[in-house]
Amino acid sequence: MNIGIIGSGKWTKALATLVAEAGNHPRIGYLEKPLPGFPGSPNLASVAKESDLLFLAVPPKNMRQTILQAKLGPANHILIAARGLEPQTGNWLSDVITQESAACRIGVLGGPVLPDEVFHRRPTAIVAASHYAEVRKRAQRAIHSAICRLYTSSDLRGVELASSMVEALTIALGLADSLEQGIGVRGVIVTRGIAEVTRLGDKLGANAHSFAGLAGIGELVSCAPKHPGYIAGRNLGMGKTISQDRQNNLKAMLALASQHQVELPLIEAVTAIALGKLRPRLAIDSLMRREATAELI
Amino acid sequence: MSNIEQFPPTAHISLALQRRSNKRLQQYSDDEIFAYLADTIYKERRRIEEQGQRDAPPVYLKALQTASRAIKRDRNAMTTSLMKLVDVYTQEIHNHFSPSTYKIASKVLPGALARLLTSAQPSQLLGVDFDPGSRIVMQGPVDKLRKLAKNHTLLYTPTHLSNLDSPLIGYALMAAKLPPVIYGAGLNLFSNPLMSFFMSRLGAYTVDRRKKNLLYKDVLKDYSIESFQRGFHTLFFPGGTRARSGKIESKLKKGLLGTAITAWQESLQAGQNKELLVVPCSLSFSLTLEAETLINDALSEEGKSRFIISDDEFSEARTVASFTRKTLNLDASVFLRFGEPLDVVGNQVDAQGSSVDPHGAPINRRDYVCNRYGQVALDPQRDQMYTHRLAERIITSFRANHIALSTQVAAFAAWQMLCRRHPLLDDVQRSALRPDERRLPRIELLQTIERIAKQIKKLQKNNQICSALPGNAANILQDALQRFAGFHRSRCLAVRGDQIEVGSKLALYYGNRLTGYGLEELTR
Repeated sequence: MNIGIIGSGKWTKALATLVAEAGNHPRIGYLEKPLPGFPGSPNLASVAKESDLLFLAVPPKNMRQTILQAKLGPANHILIAARGLEPQTGNWLSDVITQESAACRIGVLGGPVLPDEVFHRRPTAIVAASHYAEVRKRAQRAIHSAICRLYTSSDLRGVELASSMVEALTIALGLADSLEQGIGVRGVIVTRGIAEVTRLGDKLGANAHSFAGLAGIGELVSCAPKHPGYIAGRNLGMGKTISQDRQNNLKAMLALASQHQVELPLIEAVTAIALGKLRPRLAIDSLMRREATAELI
Repeated sequence: MSNIEQFPPTAHISLALQRRSNKRLQQYSDDEIFAYLADTIYKERRRIEEQGQRDAPPVYLKALQTASRAIKRDRNAMTTSLMKLVDVYTQEIHNHFSPSTYKIASKVLPGALARLLTSAQPSQLLGVDFDPGSRIVMQGPVDKLRKLAKNHTLLYTPTHLSNLDSPLIGYALMAAKLPPVIYGAGLNLFSNPLMSFFMSRLGAYTVDRRKKNLLYKDVLKDYSIESFQRGFHTLFFPGGTRARSGKIESKLKKGLLGTAITAWQESLQAGQNKELLVVPCSLSFSLTLEAETLINDALSEEGKSRFIISDDEFSEARTVASFTRKTLNLDASVFLRFGEPLDVVGNQVDAQGSSVDPHGAPINRRDYVCNRYGQVALDPQRDQMYTHRLAERIITSFRANHIALSTQVAAFAAWQMLCRRHPLLDDVQRSALRPDERRLPRIELLQTIERIAKQIKKLQKNNQICSALPGNAANILQDALQRFAGFHRSRCLAVRGDQIEVGSKLALYYGNRLTGYGLEELTR
């Protein structure tokens, strides 16, 4: 299969490596400079047109612009390989595609794939979610190989939500480690974080199993020191700031939760710290002093 | 496009539907055919046992009997008996349509319907010069639709409030010089002889919603595909039934809607250049004939045993006549607003019927279903998703093209104020409040109406709703009171000194039309 990948950097290279490993022909649509070792073109529209499956591996803030440049249309099969909501609007990335183009065969990737591990050919797994069976099948043919298992799911919103929340929860993990809160707190963040995402997912019609899958628990458990979210959390704990995009993603998550009247105390605390509104230790204290409640009734 | 007068006789249609069924059966294993036939026999026998044999024609009972014997034999016997059932179903569905009487009826009907709408005296049905078209306000891209109808098959998908919807739309299309349509009407609607006469001659085919077996559903879908294939403009209500609660449809039935994409792909495969376009329509009545029955039905679902469903107003010819006379003698009582036409995947189309993307740029819609060699690649799961997308776009169009009327705004304001006063009660309990507990100060109601009307204006500017509201809040309330007076058995809103008494069930029904626009917050 001809697989187009629009993006740049390590993540794009990792995807291209996985695609090649599965016996396909990756072609990179690049915005600035070509990716060494892989054929590519700056003409995004031609890459999109000639691909049986197109990965969009650009940051959420650039997604809208990329869609317009790539001139996506009815013939395209698309997989979003980016996590988070569009920071400017708080829209789902899959919705951004339908707002800007006539393409509708859309899917999303999620899971604990770390570029450095891919380059070392370490085994990994990923989930591709789409309402369209043909997108799921193409994703499997594009990536499934001896080094990467690709699982499919029809719960697009669930995987999209899990990936977005994981981005926020990895910040919490990095923050907790930075503040030397111990190993036990990791378990608290993972489980209570998943409880929060499940509540929100329920309102959005997502399947709760998605949060226990590769895009949810899978990615949180494998949150390594090199995970970008984790690094951002550590920096935050050391008094540094995190990028505007990450701040916007956190705010967008909270806005979404408020729209659906769902409480996300953990994400709320991380956001308050990220925006400089609350000191980290005070945030932990206020989380611990919340009213006692039940895990399961 | 084909004229409805050229609609083929039942025998032709029956053969065409049998061919389709046969093709489907060829893909089934023996066990699957057995299960398919067993489903039909079991469900139909059970239904007939429960409802009696009165409505079941002898030919149908005989076909079921033959099928019962065939199920114990071989594949051929089962297939033959299924074909017989397809034939019987086709006779029933296609039964009421007659091209010759349609031709006469289309000339006589405008006057007859006009008379019905003004005098309700069946003896005076002919020879009038009143134009009911002036009472039905039509909005939307009518000119564009007229042009598109010449080269494309149109599928109208309206919101559904009343059993009067289909004849009214049929008449409205005639008045707008749009070509006539065929449409499915529930068997129960033919119980009113006057309406039955009009409906069958205006292109209605019969749908028996009591039949739940798979074969019958497949025959109905095949009938729909066959009609599209032959280029007949069609109307069906994608909500499936009248909106019980009065709310705008938020979920659509995908079965019949999905036949649009099947028919389109069939025509592509056959190399025909027939394109099918979907036209969402929003109907807005200031009063709904069956409002009381419908809301009782909706509340009975909510309150279970607390309500018993009474007879439908539609079954009483006098009530229908009285309603139509009253409603249509008031100016601007019935609004039919056409939405922008869509392709079968849910994209908007331009004046020539070509699909366009969200930025208005032309796209090749065949790319949705064809592979890179231009051949149609069949994929039922994908088509299901396309139909889902189409349904979402239709729902969006319903909401954006809904015309807010004074009765809806006044009822919405009053009901929401009742909700605020009794926050711990549910809808069923609120509807059972004593009259003195349902009284609101007129001045407060006017203030609420004013806030809602202002917000509707804002939404209208963003193309999120349409409006036909008169002037200020006082005008809106006055207009609503005038319209509500006299028709329903109970009053929706009634003046009691400086207070307004809310007939809560009807207020809930009429107000529900405006839910989902975020107006609730304004009633605090």
